[in-house]
Amino acid sequence: MGSIPTSAAKLEGATWPAGVRLSCWQCGTEHAPAFFCPACDAIQPLPEQADHFQVLGLPRQLVIDLEALQQRYYELHRQLHPDLHQTGPQAARQASLRNTAAVNRAYRTLRDPIDRGEYWLALLGEGLGANNNRVPPELAALVFEVQEKLEELREARKSDAATALKDEVSQIRTELAERQDMLLRQLHDNYARWDADGENIATLTRELKELLSALAYLGTLMRDVEKELES
Amino acid sequence: MERIFGIDLGTTNSLVAYSDGGTPRVIPDPQTTSPLLPSVVSFPSPSQVVVGASAKALAPHHPLTTISSVKRFMGLGMEHVTAEDREHYVFAEDAQGAVKFRIHDRDYTAPEISALILKALKQRAEAVLGEEVHKVVITVPAYFNDSQRQATRDAGRLAGLEVMRLVNEPTAASLAYGLDKKNQGFIAVYDFGGGTFDISILKLHEGIFEVLATNGDTRLGGDDIDRRIAELLLAQVPAPLRHDPEVISQTTAAAEAAKIRLTENETTSLELHAAGADVGQTLSRRDFEARIADIVERTIVPCQQALKDAGLSASDLDEVVLVGGSTRVPLVRRRVEEFFGRAPHTELNPEEVVALGAAVQAGVLSGGHKDMLLLDVVPLSLGIETVGGVMERIIERNTTIPVTAKQMFTTFVDNQTAVDFHVLQGERELVKDNRSLARFKLRGIAPLPAGMPRIEVTFMIDANGILNVTARDERTGREQSIDVKPSYGLTDEQVEQMLEESFDHAEADVSARLLIEARNDADALLRATRKTLSSAPVEAEERATIDAAIARLEAAMQETDYNRIRELTDELNQATTPLAQRIMDTSIKKALEQKRIEEIVS
Repeated sequence: MGSIPTSAAKLEGATWPAGVRLSCWQCGTEHAPAFFCPACDAIQPLPEQADHFQVLGLPRQLVIDLEALQQRYYELHRQLHPDLHQTGPQAARQASLRNTAAVNRAYRTLRDPIDRGEYWLALLGEGLGANNNRVPPELAALVFEVQEKLEELREARKSDAATALKDEVSQIRTELAERQDMLLRQLHDNYARWDADGENIATLTRELKELLSALAYLGTLMRDVEKELES
Repeated sequence: MERIFGIDLGTTNSLVAYSDGGTPRVIPDPQTTSPLLPSVVSFPSPSQVVVGASAKALAPHHPLTTISSVKRFMGLGMEHVTAEDREHYVFAEDAQGAVKFRIHDRDYTAPEISALILKALKQRAEAVLGEEVHKVVITVPAYFNDSQRQATRDAGRLAGLEVMRLVNEPTAASLAYGLDKKNQGFIAVYDFGGGTFDISILKLHEGIFEVLATNGDTRLGGDDIDRRIAELLLAQVPAPLRHDPEVISQTTAAAEAAKIRLTENETTSLELHAAGADVGQTLSRRDFEARIADIVERTIVPCQQALKDAGLSASDLDEVVLVGGSTRVPLVRRRVEEFFGRAPHTELNPEEVVALGAAVQAGVLSGGHKDMLLLDVVPLSLGIETVGGVMERIIERNTTIPVTAKQMFTTFVDNQTAVDFHVLQGERELVKDNRSLARFKLRGIAPLPAGMPRIEVTFMIDANGILNVTARDERTGREQSIDVKPSYGLTDEQVEQMLEESFDHAEADVSARLLIEARNDADALLRATRKTLSSAPVEAEERATIDAAIARLEAAMQETDYNRIRELTDELNQATTPLAQRIMDTSIKKALEQKRIEEIVS
């Protein structure tokens, strides 16, 4: 990961620091990182350490307009995709491959609010780490309750008395989904406050970690419930 | 710029197409006028190779030296061969790794057999268009894993072709339908061919096709329907004959023919006329559908899964496209319409649609069609083996390609200089339940205390869905060398070796070419002779001699002995020489004395 800010309230904008210069593989012109050489228009490999915001040329913000993100993604593919550079020299084909892979990865990460949050923490040098394995306290009771119900359902299947329980589990799924929606709204709220740049970074980080951790738990729980309902 | 051709290398049939000023066209066989080349390769003798319709015709008589549906074995290992497969093929059972067929004491890998099909298509395109065919786009089922894609690319190389791009068949089909002209929408491509079933959910957005999800079954197709119906006949055959390869071949052919008739007719007869087994019955469409319903139903589960993976429901779809000969079966159409809740596209020939799309994509690659783009996904998760035989996923399935993932490796004992790792593909937890792709050996690591070296390995899946692995020592920044041992594929050295060996096989290739030339010459003479006979007066006796020569030549043209065709062409030529001379005498004798009849007429 490139320049990881330590004290700034917000990550720097997705532009490149003035010092970062690249030299065009084709004409040798020095230029700021860009997908195409400003002098000869040859496709250039972005620096290895480019972060997802830099790759997509987006401002470093957590609230992202998904429609605009998608537009940007398509726009880049229309210029960078290997199919369009197939007849070019080896260096162009390589650059195209590398850039497209970077665009795909950046897009996949940023379009998902949870992945985006985790990536933000990683940029800050703050992984979810071991904390992620601890059941968030406010969810502990719920997790326990759902697991128990699922166990009951599995038992009931053996004796053909599962139908009523299945309805109950469906009900649980609805509740879990509602809870997930609520957490996602809180996550969005947290993102907006990061972008507004007025709050204590430690508070925001702690809150973000808690939300992501709770969402991860709910996600696993939802998958278990769905698997049980399908079987 | 050199033209790029599109090839549909199918399980049952293969086609070649090209872009004619922006319009995709399939190239028909000049002899049969059909664009379908049956994907069948037969070895009538150790030095002879026959591909296509004539190979298919040989199949019932030489079932064990004729290979059909070779695509089913592309990128597979011997352990994937089933007992049923052994009824239809002879394998080199002692072989390790990739599947090998044993034919006349020689072993052939699936890519080698496929290369022969590709060569036949190459020759056809060259003969028809009169230009060299070198660069191609080849289609593969979207569900093909890395080994299967590698095997397809190897086949291209072995056929002397440069494979510019592997394209997913369902995506190609959407291109053929010109769905890229629509502004946006969701498309389901239901591809039920001879040997594979694929379902893909595509998203179209201003000329960009994005594969959202794919699912399918690489061993489910029209062949299963044929076999199911063939069982009806086989049950009536005396028990000792039921495992006779020739009887099985013939019943399967009869079943296929009945299936095709039932597309139009309500009832048909299902018959087998073989030595010791002259059996038959009538089969109604209703009975036919009842017997194959479970096979058709097996296509629905992958459809549900693909929709789920794409995060869509059937009602979100804007288009449903049908691909593959099996979608002609009325039950299949009804079931698809019922499941997706809309009438599918059927305007184009479902057997040509993939090749046409490949030609469209070939046009894109040669720079002629800049407004359209394919964004494919990796069909299966990619991972590496970790402690306890568990697969750790490093690239999730349905990730848009190209994609890279990095993984850090280190050593476990002091002064260790090499690290082995095992790459897998699949969705299961345990290594043993997933498909082994390759084993890699990282070498030349500087001797250091255990855990000190940090080797960053990059897994890159390119736009073709093919895995490339590179490694770098993080400390020194040096590229680290990697040995690749594909689990079921060919190493680069093996491909080189096969290319060299194919010179041993050059005799067969030359024979194939000589045969084609002999047939073409004979054909030209026959046409010229008929034209003359219809306009010039001929004595009865002379006419009888000429007719007999024509009959003998036509019979020989059905066979593959090109020397015999040459001999009989000369014979017919001699028989018609007096006639040709008479025509000359009456007109421009002097100028044309040396010419032969076909040249005068044409």
